[in-house]
Amino acid sequence: MSDGADAAPALKVIGQRLPRVDARERVTGEARYPADLALPGMAYARQLRSPHAHARILCIDTTRAAALRGVLAVVTAADFPDLPVGTMIPMGELGYDMWMVAQINMARQKVHWVGQPVAAVAAVDAHVAEAALALIEVEYEPLPAVLDIASAMAAAAPALHEHVFTKGIEPRPRAPSNVCSRTVIARGEAQGALTCAPATARVSVQVDTAHQGYLEPQAVVAQVDSNGFATVWASTQGQFTAELMIAAMLGLQTSKLKVVPMEIGGGFGGKIAIHGEAVAVRLAQKCRRPVKLVFSREDVLQGGSGPPAAALIDIAVGAGEDGKLTAITGNYRLDAGGLPGLSPSLVMQASAALYQCPNLDLQGHDVVTNKPRTEAYRAPVGIQAAFAMEQAMDMLCQQLGMDPLEFRLRNAAVTGSTMPIGTPFPAIGLTTILERVREHACWRDPLSTGRLPRGRGLALGYWRGTSMTSAAHITIAGDGRPMVTMGAVDLSGTRTTMAQVVAEEFGLMVDDIHIHTGDSKSVGYSDGAAGSRVARTMTAALVEASRDVLTQLRRRAAEKLQCAPEQLDYASGTFRVQTGSAGISVAELMKATLTDGAIVGRGVSTKLPLGVEIGAHVCDVEVDTRTGLVTVLRYTAFQDVGLALNPAAVEGQMEGSVVQGLGWALTEGFDYGPDGRLRNASLLDYRMPTALDVPKIDCIIVETPVPNVPYGVRGVGEVPIVPPAAAVANAIARATGARLTRMPMTPERVLAAIERAHAVGKQSLR
Amino acid sequence: MKTLLKCTVNGEEHSVLADTRDTLLDLLRDRVGLTGTKEGCGNGNCGTCTVLMDGVPINACLVLAVEAPGRTITTIEGLSTNGVLHPLQQALVEHGGTQCGFCTPGILLSAKALLDQNPRLSEAQIRHAIAGNLCRCTGYGKIVEAIAAVAAAPQEESR
Repeated sequence: MSDGADAAPALKVIGQRLPRVDARERVTGEARYPADLALPGMAYARQLRSPHAHARILCIDTTRAAALRGVLAVVTAADFPDLPVGTMIPMGELGYDMWMVAQINMARQKVHWVGQPVAAVAAVDAHVAEAALALIEVEYEPLPAVLDIASAMAAAAPALHEHVFTKGIEPRPRAPSNVCSRTVIARGEAQGALTCAPATARVSVQVDTAHQGYLEPQAVVAQVDSNGFATVWASTQGQFTAELMIAAMLGLQTSKLKVVPMEIGGGFGGKIAIHGEAVAVRLAQKCRRPVKLVFSREDVLQGGSGPPAAALIDIAVGAGEDGKLTAITGNYRLDAGGLPGLSPSLVMQASAALYQCPNLDLQGHDVVTNKPRTEAYRAPVGIQAAFAMEQAMDMLCQQLGMDPLEFRLRNAAVTGSTMPIGTPFPAIGLTTILERVREHACWRDPLSTGRLPRGRGLALGYWRGTSMTSAAHITIAGDGRPMVTMGAVDLSGTRTTMAQVVAEEFGLMVDDIHIHTGDSKSVGYSDGAAGSRVARTMTAALVEASRDVLTQLRRRAAEKLQCAPEQLDYASGTFRVQTGSAGISVAELMKATLTDGAIVGRGVSTKLPLGVEIGAHVCDVEVDTRTGLVTVLRYTAFQDVGLALNPAAVEGQMEGSVVQGLGWALTEGFDYGPDGRLRNASLLDYRMPTALDVPKIDCIIVETPVPNVPYGVRGVGEVPIVPPAAAVANAIARATGARLTRMPMTPERVLAAIERAHAVGKQSLR
Repeated sequence: MKTLLKCTVNGEEHSVLADTRDTLLDLLRDRVGLTGTKEGCGNGNCGTCTVLMDGVPINACLVLAVEAPGRTITTIEGLSTNGVLHPLQQALVEHGGTQCGFCTPGILLSAKALLDQNPRLSEAQIRHAIAGNLCRCTGYGKIVEAIAAVAAAPQEESR
């Protein structure tokens, strides 16, 4: 299955298809998530949430709630420092504005979406806490709400935030706007080139909000000791980011706070920011008991967590008769939800990155509405943008009468070609991937026939990922075995792949390595597990830490064996003198030097070269033209992973990511009512794929190592969610002639698109 | 209101003081202390709290604790014997059928109920049997493979 990169022959443990080192506790139910903790005297918390999409909070009266028997503490925004806009904490290149994080956790003065927390209660049990919520009296002054991108951008729209002036426009606008930022990426003369192009295609898509759909609702347990030291057991993608956020929100020194990352029941980007952790600590401080806060599923879906962004995207592309792209233009409007979101710059670049094109004109807008503040979801906004871009490319192929794979090969970005940001591409294997697609049965086999129309779609995906900082240290146990403490949370099998890296470095087996994620006080600062960064950067940190350990051990071994350190060879847990037979195992060495102090090898990776991810997906669908139901018959995902540390783990990431993409493509969409209330805030009505809804996903791994990255590892987990919606849409178009421009592509939307396509067909026959 | 309940979980008798509003899931997690059974939605949509009641897979969040007496309950903690993994657990480990692990206990119990009834299974039957258990990490492929591997294996051990 693997291409076999040139580094392969020397590797013994890396590249092996090994089971997860933490699989046993998962299949036995021993794995501990925060909701599983019970501490003596523990209180239970619940949050009161806003019933309005947009309102001023005039007054909150908690007297009656506080007086209820069994209620131990009540908090509102008045219990937290009023952080000004722009109070930043670090997180990679961007950082987080704590004003925003505070609003997500406890509304102050105004509510910006249904479900935003306005108060919280701790009580002797969850039933009492729930009953107390009904006794909190909040007086609201409802304000006009804007619920979608178009109404938020309309000239007459009320400005949702007085301090938001559109960034990226010179001179600075005088009036506040719901457009938080405008981004332009341009080169050449795209509009002119588009007008002149012999073949053009245009598409405008609308993508509904979806959800990351992690099965574990947000949960936290907080305890504050009599010296004021707080311990927070959290379900988080980053214990250090959570610590910085909690500390800032509470005005607490970080030396008075420890965040212990428990097992995390899925995050996918939605558990980077805190949701309730600081509130639980404040409640614990007030009631002097440990406090547990667990979200209900409705809390998660109805405004208690950050879903990914809805989007409106227009793409136009042009090509010469030779099938060479001449222009790409795009207008990306992203729904940030109730507070300013991310700059659309990354996704604009991502959606155009895989094509060499001389003329580009991409514009992006980050727009606020009265919906939950959005957060990342696996390659954030990648699937939305690809749904537009990859359909536009497919339509262009149809215009040109060109095979979509040949078209991609003709225009494919290659190592050294210019990226949308203007810099040359680092080593990429897109052409290799496309050639693998061309040879593969999923592309060569004729479509199987059935009673209903079938079609095959192709779509590409690109994701940049990030690097940021990963730290780790390794100590050596008395028996000579490495004990690894990582600063990164294990979201995707990190403990397993990193145990493989350390085993490789020490010439040992995975079973010889003990590995765990440290809490925020027992390991060096690391950024959160996000942006497909952990496997690559933690590999770099652990290679450094392993070599540091071996250097320290070598010094001790040389002393024992009475030779110079450089006269020793190390292999598989033993140092040997190069000349002669003298040697000492690390186990013997540790026993002999028990009183010489700890061996601690440290490693840190920061600003490692990116490990950009590229994938190509091929999908066969069947469309029931009477009901609009789309069935995915076959799905094959090709991806360049640099080097697969563990092919089973890589496939696991790819398969899960694709299925999430198929879910959003076909059934997953938030249905907001005119009052801004989510009408499908349950896992019955918000329909994620079941085992019956998806086929087996075939994964083809290609390996083009990243230069200057240990073992050449790339990111893996994000890009496979990028192409699925476009691949399905292209397959539907090939099956039925209908273009789907609204996502998810539910049966009623598919049916409507088929009817529209027929109407247009009939008109053109007249 | 609190009430004294006697129940049998994984072959062990328990007497616990439960709130009459408690679900079987609350009883198992908060009163008996078996936290392997997870709560993903609390209204029977996701299947993470699947346990066996008299051998039948049910959502523990949809059953009241007061319905437990007289029934035989099996949770994930009762699947392995003396530290030896059940073949389904072993297969899930080997096939990479567990990632974040939150859906895993429920999936295993749904699969056990299916296999106990019918040891020879097609892929379609397996997918149907676990269709009430959402998994967000794996895309289901490796879970289905793992269950199929057990279904195809010789039947020497009791399941």
